Amino acid sequence: MVSDDSKPGDLTAAIQSVAPVDTRLQVVVRLQNKAARALHYVADVRAMRYDPTTRTLTLALSDEGREVIPGLAGKLPLFRHVDPGSEAEIHLSVPDRIVKLSRSAGSAGAAGSAESGELSFETQQLSDVREVVVEVAWADVPYYHDTRASALQDARLPAARWEQHKARATKRQDKKRAPKS
Amino acid sequence: MATFILQDATGIGSDDLDPARGFIDMAIIANDTGLGMADPAAGKQRLVYARTGNGPPRLRLDAMINTAFSPNYGSGANNVDTIVVAGLKSLVLDDGTPMADNGTALPPKSSGLPGASLNPTEQCLVIYDTQLAVCVARDGSGGVLDLPVSPPVALYHEFSHAFRIVNNTLLALGPTCNPSSPEERAAIIDENDLRTDLATRAGTSPTLRDPGIHCGRLASDGEGCCCIIATLVSRSPLSQQVQQLRCARDHFVRGTEVGHTFFEHFFRDYYAFSPQACTLMAGDQSLRHQLLEGFVEPLLDFWNMMVERGRCVMGSTQLGAAFIALHADRGHAEQRRAALQRTSAYWEGGAGQSAEAPAQLMALLRERAWPSPYMQWALVAPVRLMHALLTRYLSGADAPAIGRAFTEALDAWAPEVPISTLWAGLPAAQVRHELGFCERALLQTTKSKIRFRQRLGERFPHITAVAGVLGRLQTIHKGDTW
Repeated sequence: MVSDDSKPGDLTAAIQSVAPVDTRLQVVVRLQNKAARALHYVADVRAMRYDPTTRTLTLALSDEGREVIPGLAGKLPLFRHVDPGSEAEIHLSVPDRIVKLSRSAGSAGAAGSAESGELSFETQQLSDVREVVVEVAWADVPYYHDTRASALQDARLPAARWEQHKARATKRQDKKRAPKS
Repeated sequence: MATFILQDATGIGSDDLDPARGFIDMAIIANDTGLGMADPAAGKQRLVYARTGNGPPRLRLDAMINTAFSPNYGSGANNVDTIVVAGLKSLVLDDGTPMADNGTALPPKSSGLPGASLNPTEQCLVIYDTQLAVCVARDGSGGVLDLPVSPPVALYHEFSHAFRIVNNTLLALGPTCNPSSPEERAAIIDENDLRTDLATRAGTSPTLRDPGIHCGRLASDGEGCCCIIATLVSRSPLSQQVQQLRCARDHFVRGTEVGHTFFEHFFRDYYAFSPQACTLMAGDQSLRHQLLEGFVEPLLDFWNMMVERGRCVMGSTQLGAAFIALHADRGHAEQRRAALQRTSAYWEGGAGQSAEAPAQLMALLRERAWPSPYMQWALVAPVRLMHALLTRYLSGADAPAIGRAFTEALDAWAPEVPISTLWAGLPAAQVRHELGFCERALLQTTKSKIRFRQRLGERFPHITAVAGVLGRLQTIHKGDTW
């Protein structure tokens, strides 16, 4: 982590709207920088998690908590900044349904009736979402490539090492009202 | 048993998987009639391979398909198959990582290897997006991320990881992409074997990926061009045509957030159809030639003129002269007009679609490309504009008349550039800076500037930074630039 002169509340986030558009959900997040210096933030969705029990969708604009796995290419997040005392909007677009590798695969008799050891998936309809949570990683310095030897030993992804705080916003979706008779 | 393609699974819709594309990608890797599939069983199809050719990709496939792997990860030897999961655009892993524009190889869950905790099975899973649009570092470029990754190359990269997973020889992985970790370096070296093999088949010299750099970016991120259609029709990512596109892009993107975001949207929409378009064109040389002559080259000429116009203000006289200089050879001009007419006929769904590939290509473009305002503005309208001007020129119009027609057409076209939501997030100083750039580089005439400002104001009436800058401009002079 870089030198930390900022306070966790310097950057606040509020979800302005969550709207279905075609087969996607469009989420508009408004950021407010209360600090006297520019703050830098991650502007794209790095992870999506949906809890079907609480119908909560969490959009993580952060690399924290993800492990390094074999893959095609290491992709850094999209970084942007917001001026001191200013506001900025992030427009996010995510699919309105996601398909997750089921944890129940490989266990006999598990929910979802997957055969033992067979691959199975869970389809999650995000259009049913009751609550949307957006977590935005930010720091008071721009992201830079850490060339120290110790960085190579650090299991965290590079942007997770950079981030100082997260701005968190929650929006509960209104229940559909019955038309007036 | 060794390697399968997933056909179906509990909890998944038929639209989520693309096993047919998975097999096509595998067949492209093999380039060998000995590759086939057994009958489906339990939602999977086993690959079968009686190899008839040599070379690293075929030898690797032979080993993956015809070997029963029993690695011992510490608790005794167990059979491990590889399952290819192709085409899951909406797939997320258990930690929330989206697999769109991505690929991975997950070791069996009890192996303890990196990624095993995300795999709920005891098989090795090779997962990749069959419509991915990713650019990686071109070898010898010093880390420029402008080398496209085609779906077969992505699959082969993941197969390289899978090969070491099932042999329990996975190398060290690290969090940074530059320099590459030993494991990713090995996968890129293997990936380059396929790139070399593909180039040899096409009779071209290979463009390789830098094994020392594992970084990548979405093709839609706009920092570096990997236009795969221009690459395909001109036969190289380093061709003059692709370099010119790169130059035009750099001119309009350099240093501006709005330009960057425009290309983000542009490439996102572009890569919604271009990988499939390339597949359809790959085996059709006459179609590739037609696209080069009747689409890519006129488009490049147009954008090169726009770059010149952005560097120094060009009046209608200079525009007319520049257009005529491009078409000084009348025979070539006639040839181009004929090619543009054929392109136009394709677009309109008329003549020339007796062959299957053009008909499929046009259906794809109508469904995925034309609805995008970015494709319409940046690709379609300029080519139509060039076609109209060329027709006028070949009918006898002189340079001043062409220049006037060109200016009028640009006044109608330029200010209709799609406006992204990014403007809403910019501080006032940056709105001024970005608007100034747009007006210098693209809009230029008073008519164009006024129309664009009107659209911007209508789009963001409640964004104080935008409204403030536009209001201040109104109090200066209409048409003046910051």
